[in-house]
Amino acid sequence: MTCCVIGVGNEFRGDDAVGLVVARTLADDFDGAVRVLECEGEPVSLITAWEGCDRAIVVDATQSGAAPGTIRRIAAHAGPLPASLSGSSTHLLGIADAIELARALGRLPARTIVYGIEGASFAAGDELSESAAAAAERVAVAIRRELEVER
Amino acid sequence: MSETRTRTVRTDYLARVEGEGGMLVKMRGGRVTDVQLRIYEPPRFFEAFLRGRQFTEAPDITARICGICPVAYQMSSCLAMESLAGVDVGGQLRALRRLLYCGEWIESHTLHVYMLHAPDFLGLSSAVELAQTSPDLVERALRLKKIGNDVMRVVGGREVHPINVRVGGWYSVPSKAQLQGLVPDLEWALEASRETVRLVAGLDFPDFEQDVELVALDAGGEYPIERGTRLVSSRGLDFPIDEFFDHVVEEHVAHSNALHALLRARGPYLVGPCARHALHGGLLSPQARAAGEDVGLEPVVRNPFRSIVVRAVELVHACEEALRLIAAYEPPAEPALEVVPPAGIGHGASEAPRGVLYHRYRLADDGAILDAKIVPPTSQNQRSIEDDLFAFVTRNADLPDDELRLRCEQAIRNYDPCISCATHFLTLEVERS
Repeated sequence: MTCCVIGVGNEFRGDDAVGLVVARTLADDFDGAVRVLECEGEPVSLITAWEGCDRAIVVDATQSGAAPGTIRRIAAHAGPLPASLSGSSTHLLGIADAIELARALGRLPARTIVYGIEGASFAAGDELSESAAAAAERVAVAIRRELEVER
Repeated sequence: MSETRTRTVRTDYLARVEGEGGMLVKMRGGRVTDVQLRIYEPPRFFEAFLRGRQFTEAPDITARICGICPVAYQMSSCLAMESLAGVDVGGQLRALRRLLYCGEWIESHTLHVYMLHAPDFLGLSSAVELAQTSPDLVERALRLKKIGNDVMRVVGGREVHPINVRVGGWYSVPSKAQLQGLVPDLEWALEASRETVRLVAGLDFPDFEQDVELVALDAGGEYPIERGTRLVSSRGLDFPIDEFFDHVVEEHVAHSNALHALLRARGPYLVGPCARHALHGGLLSPQARAAGEDVGLEPVVRNPFRSIVVRAVELVHACEEALRLIAAYEPPAEPALEVVPPAGIGHGASEAPRGVLYHRYRLADDGAILDAKIVPPTSQNQRSIEDDLFAFVTRNADLPDDELRLRCEQAIRNYDPCISCATHFLTLEVERS
């Protein structure tokens, strides 16, 4: 199984960096067996980033009104992201759009999991909040576990 | 539509980031009384964040303002620091910057032409629908976009937010072989870009023209991309960029946290592909010029809906220019020049895909940033976009609300504003009194 983990976010927009933090936590964990990537740009590039993978895990910050630090795990291969999350990225066309674009083109990995971590603040220059940092740790553990089980 | 005394057409962007943007059109008795474009503008917040940072950090920090045009922010900030230090980054160091910037133009123009703007013309609600009806077009767009990314990866060290850029040049420079590796894909991209011009030139364009002053950088004999030292206009303005604020005033408007930029004593102006093309069309690469001529592109495009054709012509230019730069490439002896700016004010400007991006920094004698000022293309175009909407809605006031809303969104996307990323998920609110 070819697998990739992609952390999405903006380094300098507070909790928007949380996806990148998860990717960095996992960067050296899989002996090269899993591609771990950071995506700071616009999400349509996800479609080329996961090319050739039959399994992808995407981690991004969310802004849906839930309690900060709330973690959601969504099987995106089974259907569109919930509407409450589809507009909550600071990244251009949006993760949800990129997923639907990939689905329409038959370019969505057979198993595509999205982890959403609810952010507290997205202001320029803010540090990662404690709730997001703690959630990032938990998500990293969860991803490690689900990839270990399947390998 | 009934005999409305007051009619309000409003679109609000969902919570991408709270209050990110929206549009409000007010009509009374079939006459437009007000148009407001509300734009959330990240640079304002980054300006504060930059204070106290070292001048060397500006390229990396400002690159994060926009996910589509990080290179533009990097280049304008580098140029500002270098101009203050009196250092001219030229030769192959500059050629590499231009190449990196071509990668960004390829990526950004492809995204906008195919994924954001074309669906409007084809009566489709989104790029996802386009992928369902014409998957070959979206596949072409994805490949073109990836080639732009590849240029950015090889030159910039990473696909987005290139980490290899520094004040004075680069941390490391690519080998000839690395750049040569991009050639086959760029040759494919050049042909695909020419097809793109033919494709978009065949779209249906509303009969609509606006007469506005066009402004672009002057790069001294080449099509302006990665730098320019003067700003020129279609009505005879010509001034060095360090006089930017002698000629441009920024107005606060109540309905937006963006500032509206206006030419002092002249009024609204327009930056971007149509301005570059009108002012410097003769400097386009041979195939880009030919592609425009083949489809009858007018020398000065006054119909903003036709900007999609100009963008496609610039896509041809970016591909051909990238190939030319690679063919002429010789790795420079040193990856960077030393830049030690004194205390003072530095100015830098480059042509982001959507138009002139101006940066000004005031530095202390230890290199700390005391004050940063960033004027992005969208805030320069904002008043013109509102003027377009005003004129367009006035002429199309009898359209049903839904149709009118779509046309307004399309009119906004003519300018590829940074908010265009928040595309296609607008809600419409109609108020009648």
